[in-house]
Amino acid sequence: MGLFILRRLGVMILTAICLTFIVFFLTNLHPNLEKLAKTQGEMRMSDEQVDRWLANRGYDQPLPIKYGEWLGVWPSKIIEVDDGRAYGRCLQTGVSIADTPRFCGVIQGDWGFSTVFKDEVSSIVATRLSLTGKLMFWVMMLMIPSALLIGVLAGMREGSRTDRSLSTVSIITTATPEYVSGVIFIALFAASASPLNQWLASMDWIEGRTLFKGTATSAMENANFNNFFLPVLTISLYGMGYIARMTRASMAEVMTAQYIRTARLKGVSFPKIVVKHALRNALIAPFTVIMLQIPWLLNGVVIVETLFNYKGFGWVLVQAAGNNDIELLLGVSVVSVIVVLITQLISDIGYVYLNPRISVS
Amino acid sequence: MTHETINGKPVHSAAKMYADEFKAGLLDRREFLTRASALGVATSAIYAMGGLTQPVHAAAHAKQGGTIRMQMEVRALKDPRTWDWTQIAFVGNGWLEYLVEYDSDGSFNGWLAESWEVNADATQYTFNIRKGVKWNNGDELTAEHIAYNFDRWAEGEAEGNSMAARVDSIVDPETKKAIDGAIEVVDSHTLRLNLRQPDITLIPGIADYPAAIMHPDDNPEDLLANQIGTGAYKNDSHEVGVKSVLVRNEGHDWWGYAEGKGAFLDRIEFIDYGTDPSAWVAAAESDEIDTIYENVGDFVSVFDSIGWNKAELATGSTIVVRPNQAATDADGKVIFEDKRVRQAIAMCVDNAVLLELGNAGQGVPAENCHVGPVHPEHDASVTRIPHDPAKAYALMEEAGMADYEFELHSIDDDWRKNTTDAVAAQMRDAGMKVKRTILPGSTFWNDWTKYAFSSTNWNHRPLGTQVLGLAYKSGVAWNEFAWSNAEFDALLDEANSIADAAKRREVMGKIQAIVIEEGVTIQPYWRSIYRHTRPGFVGTDIHIAYASQLYKWAVEA
Repeated sequence: MGLFILRRLGVMILTAICLTFIVFFLTNLHPNLEKLAKTQGEMRMSDEQVDRWLANRGYDQPLPIKYGEWLGVWPSKIIEVDDGRAYGRCLQTGVSIADTPRFCGVIQGDWGFSTVFKDEVSSIVATRLSLTGKLMFWVMMLMIPSALLIGVLAGMREGSRTDRSLSTVSIITTATPEYVSGVIFIALFAASASPLNQWLASMDWIEGRTLFKGTATSAMENANFNNFFLPVLTISLYGMGYIARMTRASMAEVMTAQYIRTARLKGVSFPKIVVKHALRNALIAPFTVIMLQIPWLLNGVVIVETLFNYKGFGWVLVQAAGNNDIELLLGVSVVSVIVVLITQLISDIGYVYLNPRISVS
Repeated sequence: MTHETINGKPVHSAAKMYADEFKAGLLDRREFLTRASALGVATSAIYAMGGLTQPVHAAAHAKQGGTIRMQMEVRALKDPRTWDWTQIAFVGNGWLEYLVEYDSDGSFNGWLAESWEVNADATQYTFNIRKGVKWNNGDELTAEHIAYNFDRWAEGEAEGNSMAARVDSIVDPETKKAIDGAIEVVDSHTLRLNLRQPDITLIPGIADYPAAIMHPDDNPEDLLANQIGTGAYKNDSHEVGVKSVLVRNEGHDWWGYAEGKGAFLDRIEFIDYGTDPSAWVAAAESDEIDTIYENVGDFVSVFDSIGWNKAELATGSTIVVRPNQAATDADGKVIFEDKRVRQAIAMCVDNAVLLELGNAGQGVPAENCHVGPVHPEHDASVTRIPHDPAKAYALMEEAGMADYEFELHSIDDDWRKNTTDAVAAQMRDAGMKVKRTILPGSTFWNDWTKYAFSSTNWNHRPLGTQVLGLAYKSGVAWNEFAWSNAEFDALLDEANSIADAAKRREVMGKIQAIVIEEGVTIQPYWRSIYRHTRPGFVGTDIHIAYASQLYKWAVEA
């Protein structure tokens, strides 16, 4: 088992290096650097000004050297400009050039500086990831129990009326992408012009003009049911239908197993059969699906965070990509690789405990 | 006795002339105010000279204290002289102020410069710096500080310094620095500028948003660290893309308090809701904001419908849908070399239709010459080549370009995209072939001057000669038309040395005619701008040049 985890960690580091190099290569293409110079310098700079801006900040060095600087295996260059200013990734305010360390890459724990946000990459990623973490936690809290409930209810009597209606619901929610359901929810629950809200307001049943808030910006500091429910619901519904379908299939299969029939013939009550005998076996398959949902949620939140103006990890990704913020994009890529591979590792290990027939080494 | 001028000196002779012109109907109200105040006549005197009644200020209804939350993009701060978004100025203006203030009625008023004098041919400006203005680090504001700023603005080599073009008349074309002796500190509170050529745009130039006055000790690269400034506020937190908060600088005795300028609010929050107006509506309905930075397109009526107060203002801000005359296609052909092609494109477009479809009718139609009624020297008798699609197509055939497929670029937004779409539709109606390419905002600006055929928005500028000098003059950085015309350049230089509006109008008429005749651009309409505010606030009216004027904002008493 220990060897297995070690091997997985090795794969993770290798994947991270490959991915960041690709991202690094793409973000350092000349048109992208030009865009960076214009968004950071002045939008309407001339070509000579752009070249000078890039040269002053070391962007004109060969790609492997720049990548080595970011990794921390190549000494970082310090460029002194004639007007007395100096640029270099190792420079810190209050530290003289002579005292500046020569290496300051990821290996040294320095993730670099975001050009858009003018802040340390590590602190941006930490803040934004924790906000997305908060969103994902509530999504999980809503999505998993409701998905399992629907799946089990639908799967325990395959073909029944309950099964058909619940299956219809879960297929509809899975088939509706977030950017559709999100807009519908905002129009229905968060616009004062919607008939529902006008009716509720006329009955004096809601305090403000709308039932929920169509923006989650205030939820970053202070999340409550009002401002956080719609984004959580939008993400959950999409994943819920999928997990419910998986659970239903697994449950239906278990319910046809020999030992369930035996139990029924013995006269065990139906609820007892479902809870005591069927459930544990039926949950093995959904477990994997749920773990696979976590990395998927990371990119699913891009749309929902943009739609609801919730400034989390997905929003940072959009901003970093849109502004060619090289070091921030690299940081985001590394975090994504880690999240995806760690959840897979957990799901592999968890599988072993749920199903003793499988072993990893 | 009240002074007629802001400096107590006799009224500039040209100002009296303007008053006569205004009364004779040669100048409109805004033109008259702009011209006269740029010559140093006190605003109250201008209103008296022109026989006008001065509008009453809303300050009477303002309450001291309170918080306002504005939807606005929060951008990273940088050196003021490189500011390229007015949104940056909204935050920086908390503590950084200007020498001169431009008002929405077109007048220029003393701010950190209490007054100024201009000599007859506009080659020498003398600024009287306001006495008793304190920086928030305790220093007294002196002419030396102002001289430091002019020096910085004049550095033409500095990356992204857009102020160099605004103070071009004190810049040495060789060294790209201020000419020796151009900036003269007369005494502790008097500064004189000796220009190398007549310049009537200097005052408008230094009233523009990147002209914020910095303290010599502060580090322009990191404005948030020290925040040395003369203004009433300071920044409490600034998170790019998320939120920025200004709070009253309690320890600082702002000069404006004694002058009754205001600065009523205790706290101003700018919250970023992205660029999608529907997100602003959601924020307004959720009671998360009190006002918006600027309203656009169909959302004007949406905000009307939720009961917010509308502030509307007709401006000189506009859009140009222009060919780039140097652009080549894949075969190496210079697409818009032929004047007939450019004329044909302008002729097949009905500007009133563009205003209706592109900007929901919010504005007034324009004449394709980028000088309009808001500008003092505008010659209304010069009009566009008449709209005539049939003739346009004939002209295109004559030039051998009738089968050519034009690619028309625009940014992906509301009004700019719609206007450009309407141009494409009208060109197709006239029988031409057009391919539309829509680029996201993050990539559009990388090559904005180079697209063969595209649309660009231009902000309002006080004088008609200004945009022409920034974008139409041969070889200037923002000449997205790649147009160069010696006659135009000569006429523009001539116009820039004439202080008298009526005389300049003669030259401007010729300039307008050349721009139209050459088919330089489609410039379909002048936009009205809007800002909506939740009832209960006053003074948040949108400004003609998007100046922040935070000191006017207040909770209604």
